[in-house]
Amino acid sequence: MIFKNLFGYEAKRKRLLKQAHAGALRDFLSVPFPDEKQFFIDTPILSVDFETTGLNAKTDKLLSIGFVDLLANKIPLKTSYHQIVHSKGLLKSDNVTIHQITDSEKDQGEPLRVVVETLLKALTGKVMLVHFARIEREFLQQACIKLYGIAPVFPMIDTLMVAKRRLDARDVSYDPSSLRLSALRTQYQLPEHHAHNALNDAIATAELLMAQVNARQEPNKTNLADLLL
Amino acid sequence: MSNELADIRVFLKLIPPFDLLPDPLLDTVVKEISICYLRKQEDLPPDELSAETLFVLRKGALSYYSADNELLGMFSETDICTLYCHAQTSIDIRLCSNEDTLLYALPYPALQEILHDFPDVIAFFEHSAEQRLHKKMTRVNEAAIISSSLMNTPITHFYHTPVASIDHRSTIQEAAISMTEQGYSCLIILEEDNFIGIVTDKDIRRRCVAEGLSLKQPISDIITKNPTTIDVNSSAYDALMVMTGKHIHHLPVTNQGKLEGMLTVTDLMNYEGQHAVNLTSIIHKATTVNELAKISTMLPKLQIRMAKLGTTADHVGKSISAITMAFTIRLIEMAEKLLGPPPVPYAWLAAGSQARQEQLAHSDQDNALIISDDMKPEDQTWFFDLATFVSDGLAACGFIYCPGDIMATNQRWRQPQKIWHRYFDEWVNTPSSAALLNASIFFDLTTVYGDSSLLENVRYEMLEKTKRSTMFIAHLSKNALRLKPPLGFFRDFVLKHDGENKSVLDLKHNGIAPIVDLARIYALTEGISSTNTITRLQKAAGTRSLTKESAANLIAAYEFISMLRMQNQSMRMQNNKKPNNFLPPKALSKLEREHLKDAFKVIKTMQDVRQSSY
Repeated sequence: MIFKNLFGYEAKRKRLLKQAHAGALRDFLSVPFPDEKQFFIDTPILSVDFETTGLNAKTDKLLSIGFVDLLANKIPLKTSYHQIVHSKGLLKSDNVTIHQITDSEKDQGEPLRVVVETLLKALTGKVMLVHFARIEREFLQQACIKLYGIAPVFPMIDTLMVAKRRLDARDVSYDPSSLRLSALRTQYQLPEHHAHNALNDAIATAELLMAQVNARQEPNKTNLADLLL
Repeated sequence: MSNELADIRVFLKLIPPFDLLPDPLLDTVVKEISICYLRKQEDLPPDELSAETLFVLRKGALSYYSADNELLGMFSETDICTLYCHAQTSIDIRLCSNEDTLLYALPYPALQEILHDFPDVIAFFEHSAEQRLHKKMTRVNEAAIISSSLMNTPITHFYHTPVASIDHRSTIQEAAISMTEQGYSCLIILEEDNFIGIVTDKDIRRRCVAEGLSLKQPISDIITKNPTTIDVNSSAYDALMVMTGKHIHHLPVTNQGKLEGMLTVTDLMNYEGQHAVNLTSIIHKATTVNELAKISTMLPKLQIRMAKLGTTADHVGKSISAITMAFTIRLIEMAEKLLGPPPVPYAWLAAGSQARQEQLAHSDQDNALIISDDMKPEDQTWFFDLATFVSDGLAACGFIYCPGDIMATNQRWRQPQKIWHRYFDEWVNTPSSAALLNASIFFDLTTVYGDSSLLENVRYEMLEKTKRSTMFIAHLSKNALRLKPPLGFFRDFVLKHDGENKSVLDLKHNGIAPIVDLARIYALTEGISSTNTITRLQKAAGTRSLTKESAANLIAAYEFISMLRMQNQSMRMQNNKKPNNFLPPKALSKLEREHLKDAFKVIKTMQDVRQSSY
């Protein structure tokens, strides 16, 4: 099924490529996605995290984006990127306390187009890694529809789903809160991290995936297909 | 929000030497990091070894092994691994994870580039254990000089010159008039312009007036001939130690053997105020053991005060040893008053740390008696009574009885000179490791009171033999290598060679004793009569036994461990806890652990040299 799914990704990419206008999205779609038979250790991955004003991609806003590469069991911080997105309107104060982005900072942010283009460029030819895929997938698709008129496709690894699949396979009941990023990191004895900063969370997610992959079997024997959503 | 990698920067900032870097530069360093993940029981990947990399452990544990699989050390959270900063130097080292490990890898050439304005930080990564230790001890010693005024101040700051003098043919009265007129408490006695002795107002009081001697007698009748002098190049502290140890208040200063000036205890005391001299002068005035016992309670306070002042362990050891000596001398004087004059000449000896001048407050008493061969069997009682009185007195003053019974009360260690000759003959000529284990303390002996020639004779003959006896040195070496320093630290534990962890570090047995043992071996091999460890190492430096460089390394290691031990003891005493030699690694800063590890490395290197040379 996963096999078919990936086939779906590649087929959909080619189809969308024909529709896309010249520009960032077309450039992104013109490069094939990594082969699903590839080993984890050989797969270029971009760990991504968005901070948003809420869960609804249509009504809520994208506040900031953070990402970093993960390749060959290593996270080179040189590739790290963090950007606040400029948008109109005031932020709800209860959200500000979570992501700690203030209105004045937001006003100084980059326009959505610049941030999304930077992300698409970095994501080209890579698999996107997130924790809890819905947010990043929906907000990025929504942004692309707004900017380019098309919702693109991208292969994703979700550390939450990696953990959930393992728990489901063991057929035992579990507390859903144990699937939170910080809870999973604690479970794998990873150090505490400063959550709700997009780049910190992206790094934290990448570290978690390394721990998950290494805990199961040797990373040079894990197929990408085993990890993809 | 201004810095999104602040988490990692904050983490690095806690680790020396990164703490020396300003935040913006640290951010640049952070950007160079690659976060790596190693699963348990995995060797570091080969591509990491080919690149020159510095690692910082974020989480987990690593061990590293030599080519023949000997455990060399371990790393845990916040440790810096510099083994692979230079690829070619570490080919033979294997690094393996003990747990799932999160590592920060920094490309070393890039790091050097970023930190080119911070040579101290680069030096920390670059330098060998020895170099780092030297640097640390240089700083400590500098701090000691600044904080303690008397130490390392040359006596040239204190002594008077020209010296008031008088011809040896002058009468006692003429001398007294001269002293009164010039306002001096002491005169130098000259014979044909040569300095032959010294007279103090105390001498006039005790040797002339009290004895009813005529004032018309020549002054030479009551002078002290060939008094103790001090070289002009000595420090004020050395002068103080001589005065305290010998109970004198006037010290002629000589320059290449010629009289240069006069130093009095008042000169020093005015300068330093309350300290060791005060204590010894009170000790000297005490008339009962009870009084002495009361004074002895000040000893820990003195040590605490000295430690606070930043005094080096070497100087604290010398001061405490000098004070112990003063207690002993006073007790012997009391005993002689009680028992009558000694039937034959003798000397009271101190062994071990007191003899090496490395004593700290609350140590046990190690002593012995060497008696003239003229001793008759019936004299035994007198010496036994002396030993009992002094030993009990010392115990009352807080110096507990020696658990190994190395005390003058033990007949075995209360013997005429000829028996001591025989003891040393046996130890040196027909050595056995077991016998030497208990006897090594007698190779650090000093005269506290009495006829010092008794011991010096024995020592001279002993050193003539030890220089030649390779068997003896071999046995001594074997014993010395029994106590090994640990490898380092792993989390809050002490890491031993077998990979075992201990929760406390035994500073005495795992740090100080191995160096003391090595220094003794060098001294006995080279015929050096000194007993103090640092002096032994200084004198052995540049001989066949010890290179100058190795001597300097050992001294730095010794000074550092001794300093930690002294501070630890002072801290415990201040908190009303019994002082001991155990230090939990938790009490050590990150930097102190690094320096200790360096010190252990120095000891291990020198032990390995010893191992291969005997």
